[in-house]
Amino acid sequence: MTDEESLETPFDPVVSKEESFGAETPVTGKTKMQAAWSADSDDSNSTAQVASMSQGQIFQQIYQPWEGTLNPRWMRNWAILRHHVLGIFRKGHRPWNIPTKLFIFFVIIASMTDVALALLFGMIGEASLYDIWGVNRDNMYGHVMGFFPRNILYYPIVAALLVGGMISEDRAHGTSAMYFSRPINRFDYASMKFLSVALILFFIIDGTLALYYFADILVMGKGWAWIIDTFPMFIATFLCGIILSFTYTAIGLSLSSISRGRFFPAIGLVAILMGTRAMASIIDALFDKSVLYVISPYDAVAHVCQALIGTEMTYDHPWVWSLISVIVINGLAIYLLANRVSSLEVTRE
Amino acid sequence: MVRDLVIESTALTKAYGPHVALDSLDIKIEQGSTGLLGPNGAGKSTFLKTILGLIQLTSGEGKVLGYDIRTQGDQIRQRIGYMPEYDALNPGMEAIHQVRYSGELIGMNPNIALQRAHQALEYVGLGEQRYRQVSTFSTGMKQATKLACALIHDPQLIIADEPSNGLDAQARNFMLTTLDTTVKQGQRSVLMASHLMDDVERVCDNIVLLHKGKLAAQGKIEDLKAIDREVEIHVWGSASKMEETLSDRGMKVRREGRVMRIGHTGEETYNQILEAAADVGTQVRRMHDHEASLEDLFLVIMERLGHDVKSSDDLLRDIV
Repeated sequence: MTDEESLETPFDPVVSKEESFGAETPVTGKTKMQAAWSADSDDSNSTAQVASMSQGQIFQQIYQPWEGTLNPRWMRNWAILRHHVLGIFRKGHRPWNIPTKLFIFFVIIASMTDVALALLFGMIGEASLYDIWGVNRDNMYGHVMGFFPRNILYYPIVAALLVGGMISEDRAHGTSAMYFSRPINRFDYASMKFLSVALILFFIIDGTLALYYFADILVMGKGWAWIIDTFPMFIATFLCGIILSFTYTAIGLSLSSISRGRFFPAIGLVAILMGTRAMASIIDALFDKSVLYVISPYDAVAHVCQALIGTEMTYDHPWVWSLISVIVINGLAIYLLANRVSSLEVTRE
Repeated sequence: MVRDLVIESTALTKAYGPHVALDSLDIKIEQGSTGLLGPNGAGKSTFLKTILGLIQLTSGEGKVLGYDIRTQGDQIRQRIGYMPEYDALNPGMEAIHQVRYSGELIGMNPNIALQRAHQALEYVGLGEQRYRQVSTFSTGMKQATKLACALIHDPQLIIADEPSNGLDAQARNFMLTTLDTTVKQGQRSVLMASHLMDDVERVCDNIVLLHKGKLAAQGKIEDLKAIDREVEIHVWGSASKMEETLSDRGMKVRREGRVMRIGHTGEETYNQILEAAADVGTQVRRMHDHEASLEDLFLVIMERLGHDVKSSDDLLRDIV
């Protein structure tokens, strides 16, 4: 190409090519599509026009204004709640990882073993086994506060998986800036995150409890007298489920707020719950003193719940001490959470 | 032409204990594009947090889009789009949902937010990539996604904190073009904090220069360039004598061979140069104004401020 030509055309023009395909033309990988698109019913040769140089601008940047109305504060908070809770079931919201989703599913199923067994033995008319699994004061307490397997394998692990990255990942990924550079204040941010975790725990614990209680009424045809007799126990147990969800969430989120990863808050929550209980049980076994159980969040809640539901007390110290312990533990956790959330940065983390 | 002010502050002061981060700032930012400049520790981040209504002032007052920064932070943040300097995206989310969620956090209806997210991502050049996870994005694509998050509700003011940070030449060019288009085509205002003078000069008409928490300079870039205005001449013969004569006449001269730059002190500068040339007998073969870049201007201002900043008025008074 001469200099003059190169001035006129800054790049080499693509020559329009014409290729023909006959019945005998071997269909290679390269020409397969061309042959297919030009296939005719008769045996005549087909031609394929190979596209030449593309011209024109494909991407055109046009600013499009928007004059819609923005919703008030409660709608913004609802968006945060939906983002976290719906992420368990649907794409497009908070991306919970697969093990967390699977474990939640497993715990929901496992939490309903008492429902299934009560219905099974009730329906086949096995009275002695139904008495073991059917709705009563101790079984309702056990559904929420039973230590093994529910409060060692199920609920604390679910809580740990949920709180793991709840705030710490906002700190690590800088996504806290996305909240605070918008009209979201720190109270709304922390409370909606709290509510998201607590709601998921609440649905697992109290949702399955309600299913257990009402399925028994409906399937076994319980009468009004039985309902009036047991409903206060159900409400007390329901309240215990709320206290348990609240306590696990408060401790877990406070740990999440002081971290930048998933592992520490998760393992920290399990360590606090199990470690304090282990220490208290060792002291109890050695010195026959149950008072150290007040440092164990699980035991403090369990003791309060025993008093609320009216089951047999398994601790020697007054339940009011445990109530104070529950209040103090939650107060400290929420103080830490509030303190750390207030330090989340917008411009730099 | 006097345009509406998008940001104005009077004696705005923010102190963290004994450390004064912002010292009595009187800033007026008009509609259009403005660059926020300053070395590290100048107070840019504190200023941004202040105008977002996120931190309490120690004293003074300020307004953003007519809203009080002390009491109406929510209204301000609803009307601006903030693009943070650092990563602010959830790597596990798809870009479209990330942008949609940021719209919902402003208060947009979820369906409308999704529709706008498509438009915003198309606008920033990620139309074909919108269903990809953010974790698979390059730095440029992440920056573009952050800009889409800031633009989703069509804010009146966009605050872009180091928008071209970490971008290659092509991505940087696209980012700056997008910001420029937003100002010129979208009629929106942009406040752009950046260390890169070229970027600011390309997008912005005005600058605000902070130094050690104080306002060092503000105004139109063209006007501020007058601080460092020089006349460049190319001479033939007796260059050293010419330099000496100009210096004797009280003019500030810098010489490199046959090329000299003389400080511009007014319209009479040109005549004084020609008179000096006539006296010495030197040929002036070329004479033109030398336009300083924004970087030159920044360095000159910093040099003159030294370690003791007074105010932009003092700065300009020293020069003219």
